Amino acid sequence: MNERLLAKTFVELADTLVADFDLIDFLRLLTDRCVGMLGASAAGVLLADRDGELRVMAASDEQVRLLELFQIQNDEGPCLECFRAGSPVTVPDLLTETARWPRFAAQARLHGFGAVQALPMRLRDEVVGALNLFRTAPGPFDPVGTPIAQALADVATISLLQQRSTHRSTVLNEQLQTALNSRVLIEQAKGKLAERHNIDMEQAFTALRSYARAHNRRLSDVARALIDDTEPLAGLAS
Amino acid sequence: MPTSRSSRIRVLVAEQAARRGAGVGVVDVCTAAVAALPVGGAGLSAMSRTRASYPLCSTDDISERLEELQLTLGEGPCVDAFTHGVAVLVPDLRSGELQDCWPVFADAALEAGALAVFALPLLNGAISPGVLDLYAQVPVQLDTEELADAMAFADLATLVLLDAQIDETGGPAGDGAPKGHMEDLGEYRAEISQATGILTVQLGVGIEEAFIRLRAYAYAQGLRLTVVSADVVARRLRFSPDAEPTRTDEDP
Repeated sequence: MNERLLAKTFVELADTLVADFDLIDFLRLLTDRCVGMLGASAAGVLLADRDGELRVMAASDEQVRLLELFQIQNDEGPCLECFRAGSPVTVPDLLTETARWPRFAAQARLHGFGAVQALPMRLRDEVVGALNLFRTAPGPFDPVGTPIAQALADVATISLLQQRSTHRSTVLNEQLQTALNSRVLIEQAKGKLAERHNIDMEQAFTALRSYARAHNRRLSDVARALIDDTEPLAGLAS
Repeated sequence: MPTSRSSRIRVLVAEQAARRGAGVGVVDVCTAAVAALPVGGAGLSAMSRTRASYPLCSTDDISERLEELQLTLGEGPCVDAFTHGVAVLVPDLRSGELQDCWPVFADAALEAGALAVFALPLLNGAISPGVLDLYAQVPVQLDTEELADAMAFADLATLVLLDAQIDETGGPAGDGAPKGHMEDLGEYRAEISQATGILTVQLGVGIEEAFIRLRAYAYAQGLRLTVVSADVVARRLRFSPDAEPTRTDEDP
């Protein structure tokens, strides 16, 4: 564990929360830091929509996004179990769990993952989602890393309520709805930018995020400006 | 897995359309919402940042009046819901704070007979074609389930409203929506949104039309929207402004 990086991460997350705040950007930062700091090979965040169905809100890479989707579609896997039980699920070696999650275990191996840890995102009595850490190599999870990962998951949960809102209601499922819509908006913008500059979706996301950071703007505001062609956005992806 | 909220709502709306003996239209979303929620009426307006907004339908005189008022005055919950892209819930219009917020609308709405108003934006990312308004003649709160239902009605209204334009943009015309058209409703896949963004460039159109064209193509080909979207994202399928979409079988 790199303590300096840990401190830097919490400062960075706190900064994001205080400034004009974009949930999708924040969750992606969270997954990236889980990879950089906690020794995870990949990380993903799932949030429940208003029907209680999980949606992939952020993933550190495409492999893990597909694997998270796979769990949702097949209705099996550690992340779903963690979400439903509201408690952590830790699997140091996925090979031992082929009976428990036959389809997921096989799929995870295909994607090159050997171990997984799923941590609940709880808000008082309500479980709103899960943070998932994947590792390529099987083996026990670092006992120091786990509470830190849980703390990151808790910060992410609190952040849901932090979202800037101009409306009267602060109902949680409305917040989630806004977050989901912001995700759609950013994906639309990624598609437009990727096609325009002949780059892939990940490069498009990075370009949008760098632009937002460099200009001190919310990711979803930049995404909307791009889609609506309301601004030149000079220097974006060039 | 239990029946999802969106499929339940879809059935309620389809029943209203069947009762009317027509294909599913936005008016069916309104009547179904009134039947399912503790409200007296519903209205739906097409809204736009660049073009004039106009009322599309309403279930009674009061809701018709509310739509007209908001669009004419340029203020009210529906206008705020559209501008900010969030639901605006007003359980009691007599609250003093609201009188400051919408000085003309609040009084006019009370006079028209509405005491509670709920405005739900129709939203799909940057696509925001309108607002669904619900009103009640008595003060009322929507509980969590009711609010979730109301948002599901608004989601369905978004697609019904956009699909109504398919015949105008070269997709399959005719009575009502193509078969299986609501199948992909509850499904969210990043690829659908990415493909929509890609089409804005390939077709040189706005995001709303790009989404309509993507859906129209999927219907016309009898393919799932997620399948068509994945092909667009993988660059196996290209759209162009003056020709039919072209398919290349190998990955680039």
